[in-house]
Amino acid sequence: MLARRVLNRPRSLASPSSWAASARTVTACDVIVVGGGHAGTEAAAAATRVGAETLLVTQKIQTIGALSCNPSLGGVGKGQLVREVDALDGLMGRAGDWAGVHFSILNRSKGPAVWGPRAQLDRPRYRQFIQAELLSMPRLTVVEGSVEELLVSEPDPEKPGKHRVTGVRMADTGRIILARSVVLTTGTFLSGSLFMGQTTSPGGRMGDPPSGSGLSRSLKEVLGLRLGRLRTGTPPRIFKRSVDLSLAQLQLPDQRPTPFSFISNGTHCKPEEQLPCYLINTTPGVERVVRESLHLNSHIQQDTRGPRYCPSIESRVLRFPGRQHQVRLLREIPALRKAEIQAPGYGVQYDFVCPTQLFPSLEVRSAQGLFLAGQINGTTGYEEAAAQGVWAGVSAGRRALSLPPLSLSRTQSYIGVLIDDLVGRGITEPYRMFTSRAEFRTSLRPDNADLRLTLKGYCDIGCVSPRRYEEAVRMKAGLSEALSALQDITLSPTRWREKLPQAAVSANKSGIMSAEEVLQYKDVSFEMLASAFPDVLGPYVEFAERLKIEAMYRPHCEKQRREIERILQEESLSLPQDVDYLSLPVSLSQEVRELLDRVRPATLGAASRLPGMTPAAILHLLNYITRTPQRDRSAERSSTPDPQNLSDESRDSFPCVPVSQ
Amino acid sequence: TAASARTQFSGARASHRLWSSAPLCATDTIFALSSGQGKCGVAVVRVSGPASALALRGLTGPDRPPAPRTAALRSIFHPQSKEILDRGLVFWFPGPHSFTGEDSAEFHVHGGPAVVSGVLDALGSLPGLRPAEAGEFTRRAFHAGKLGLTEVEGLGDLIHAETEAQRRQALRQMAGDLAQLYRDWSQRLTQCLAHVEAFIDFGEDDLIEDGVLDQVDNSVAQLQTEITCHLHDGRKGERLRSGVQVVIAGETNAGKSSLLNLLCRRPAAIVSPIAGTTRDVVETCLDIGGFPVLLSDTAGLRETADAVEQEGVRRAREKVEQADLTLVVVDATQLPTDPLQVPVFLGAHLLAVLPHGVGLEESLRHCILVLNKSDLLPVEQVEKTQTFLNKNPGLPPASLLSCHTSHGLENFMTSLQSRLSSLCGDPLAGTPSLTQARHRAHLHECFQALGQYQQYRDVDLALAAEGVRLALTGLGRITGKVGAEEILDIIFRDFCIGK
Repeated sequence: MLARRVLNRPRSLASPSSWAASARTVTACDVIVVGGGHAGTEAAAAATRVGAETLLVTQKIQTIGALSCNPSLGGVGKGQLVREVDALDGLMGRAGDWAGVHFSILNRSKGPAVWGPRAQLDRPRYRQFIQAELLSMPRLTVVEGSVEELLVSEPDPEKPGKHRVTGVRMADTGRIILARSVVLTTGTFLSGSLFMGQTTSPGGRMGDPPSGSGLSRSLKEVLGLRLGRLRTGTPPRIFKRSVDLSLAQLQLPDQRPTPFSFISNGTHCKPEEQLPCYLINTTPGVERVVRESLHLNSHIQQDTRGPRYCPSIESRVLRFPGRQHQVRLLREIPALRKAEIQAPGYGVQYDFVCPTQLFPSLEVRSAQGLFLAGQINGTTGYEEAAAQGVWAGVSAGRRALSLPPLSLSRTQSYIGVLIDDLVGRGITEPYRMFTSRAEFRTSLRPDNADLRLTLKGYCDIGCVSPRRYEEAVRMKAGLSEALSALQDITLSPTRWREKLPQAAVSANKSGIMSAEEVLQYKDVSFEMLASAFPDVLGPYVEFAERLKIEAMYRPHCEKQRREIERILQEESLSLPQDVDYLSLPVSLSQEVRELLDRVRPATLGAASRLPGMTPAAILHLLNYITRTPQRDRSAERSSTPDPQNLSDESRDSFPCVPVSQ
Repeated sequence: TAASARTQFSGARASHRLWSSAPLCATDTIFALSSGQGKCGVAVVRVSGPASALALRGLTGPDRPPAPRTAALRSIFHPQSKEILDRGLVFWFPGPHSFTGEDSAEFHVHGGPAVVSGVLDALGSLPGLRPAEAGEFTRRAFHAGKLGLTEVEGLGDLIHAETEAQRRQALRQMAGDLAQLYRDWSQRLTQCLAHVEAFIDFGEDDLIEDGVLDQVDNSVAQLQTEITCHLHDGRKGERLRSGVQVVIAGETNAGKSSLLNLLCRRPAAIVSPIAGTTRDVVETCLDIGGFPVLLSDTAGLRETADAVEQEGVRRAREKVEQADLTLVVVDATQLPTDPLQVPVFLGAHLLAVLPHGVGLEESLRHCILVLNKSDLLPVEQVEKTQTFLNKNPGLPPASLLSCHTSHGLENFMTSLQSRLSSLCGDPLAGTPSLTQARHRAHLHECFQALGQYQQYRDVDLALAAEGVRLALTGLGRITGKVGAEEILDIIFRDFCIGK
């Protein structure tokens, strides 16, 4: 077993490359994160926050935090992810508040549960923020370089898995770095190919050297992981001065920008200094050009799976002919008649690891100590990558510090939904978050991500700073005091009409109504109530918007609570990960045995959602879990268990302990 | 393989219905007919959960609650209409000293379908009560720690049987007009939900017109009207067929129609020596040993170029898949003379006739082999074969008989009746009244949830969508579940979505 050690090196990060080039050929740390994109940066930061000595390996420090596609953060569903990453003390939300130049809440008219906070960003400023944060973070070292291969050794027999990843070998120097956990966030660089027109070249991003061919081999041939291939694309960049903005449709930001972060006091950009956006539609001519040049476009002709919800202009024209489409560039468009291209658009095809091979902690089932996050798991989008990054970083850090693994439930967070969908169902196209994927979205709102995650993040997970925790505690206390104050104000409908003449409190409601019930009315705001009862409610005006939302949703969330409890209960029944289903002394059909052996569901809940699982089998499994003492179960794992390690270590056979509610 | 894929599919649906709708931490109060289907003097309706006392008071009046665990004679009436449904014995089992560990009550009423469905309907009209999902009582008992280790093994088998019975019942219902209706509703609701979700997730940036919601408004209103109408004349709807479904199947010219005629004692089907005489399903209602039986004769299974016969073969296969019991008829003259070859021969036959989808083992348990035309065999071979069959445990029960001379009929009837009695004693063989009560409860849920859509349509679209989702869940309990991926599929099919 690898001993924990502390790196003996200067903290100064001014010359990280000198560290990389140091004479020592073997060094060690707790966690190595490979990749400096949105997943990698969050993973490195999260592992550090958990308390692990972390090393971030990236090709170029200057591209850390680059926005390779659109300079836009958040949106419907994605905005929820940003809020949750922030609630777990991640970087993305604060970086967005620092770099945003156009803030708006999408879906403003559709209900606070589906509001989509979104910002257009200034690319350099976003990069600067992320780099400044990472380069000054204690316990974190950043080095430039490429990882050539993963170091793999015999697994720890007490834990599930066929291999153990013990570190990486660097490409240029051949240097070996040992670590207890390795997080891969290689994005589109895993056997990436770039497509522009008919030309194809190896690479993961325009302007960066290709990498990861050795890693691809490590994953496929050494670890035996199943890989798939996906495609994506990025639009051309054009100079603003060459666009005729008078022919475009103006889109203005919100007058009062809403920050992403629960601890930002506001956005860096002043409200009045925000920039507008412009919307341009395609014309029938665009469709003609696309059709005529399709034979010149090898990216689209190939049948690699691309996303359905962010299709290329080519795919759209083919699927929905005769419609107008929004695009950024083509000279057929009047406003772009004189457009000058700064950088051309291109397509990327890349390998991903089928994510059903991961635990909910994002650790690879068959390779102890290896964690994956971001596009390597088949997702798309900065926010999806960051969300996984936080969790992979937390898991990798906890593993390095010998803390038990944790999982986030889909009933608690969009991050939980994302991970459960990935590891439980796998993907057939690049996965993007939508609010409709979260069955409990009326409970998982952007406004309450701090109450859902920050408290747990501090107490159970250990990835939240005291400052943020204290703010969340203050918020929780304030909200619950205010809610009880609202509940304590009770009047008859007639009296309410006198108090709030502008609100149509309906007469048919018999009996007494509380201020909380009145606040559920569409046209009643907390401010109105506070001016009617200044003594009681006045102190809580700072929570006005959140109180209005809480009052609206509380009755529905109460109804959902039972269903949530049921799911949590099923999820709390962990199935041992290394049990031999094929010989388990329980009455199961051969088909079910093979299914369980193949998929290895982490919990009874996950097992019951498997296609092909029978209720009788679930019952037998339930009986097995609840009736068989843990000690006996761990004994079934191997014929010669080490008696010393059985008692305490047997808890480790559960891949994940759900974070308590 | 295709066969195992099918198994997985039906297994998944069944598992979802059973498991996800039966909460582990259940606080619902559930009720069901606990006694067997068919002709019986007394029917037992069981209630379990915190509202059991309420149910007892609701149906027997507030006075004179029965002493715990003691029979009491009471008039049982409908809590709303006050109409007397029956006079019968009621029991009160306060928890934890009950089968499920929860408060429970039992109503022992007269066994007619009208009385039973009346009581079930009355219970369903009370707040907090819903029809039990299959196996739910037993599962609650399990969770309350009321079952010992050995009983759990038995419970596993029971739930397995329940799943199977449910699946067959669902297949049967899903073949009818009612199913068509539910499926249509379900499709329209799925479409509605997909359109609301598209408007929420993509409405801001993409070309999804506000008109989409107007369409949803219309659909929801239309669905509400249709569901109300259906709930009000639901009883006049489809006649659900009661009785054990027994199907005669086998190769052409094995004597299937002769067997039907023999059992009916009248020529219900045309019999001829020409292979392929029966081209459609011939059905007849019978009383065999006191058990209600719906007997179907089917077209012989063979490859054919005749379009009419092909359709007959397709229907025959469908019928076999829905059957509670299949009589597989084999021409005994084609049996191999060496008895050791007989199991292989019969095995191949069974494989050709029985559905593969549900697992062969399961099909074999619901099947009897009939080796017809024994009169054409030499006497010594008949005896040898019968002895051999009697002691061969690998095969389903097999009877050698002659439809022509009725020789061996008695033997066959004994074996048939023993299967029927175990099927009818099985409370799961499918009671239409119970099914109907369940459907009504879920449809009502669906209707109310659609109200939530209308209530929140202009206030909060997330809560409005929640209403459509709940409505779909209610309907999904009848038709099978609809998952998030299906919704997304519709969104991407119907709308041009992208950045």
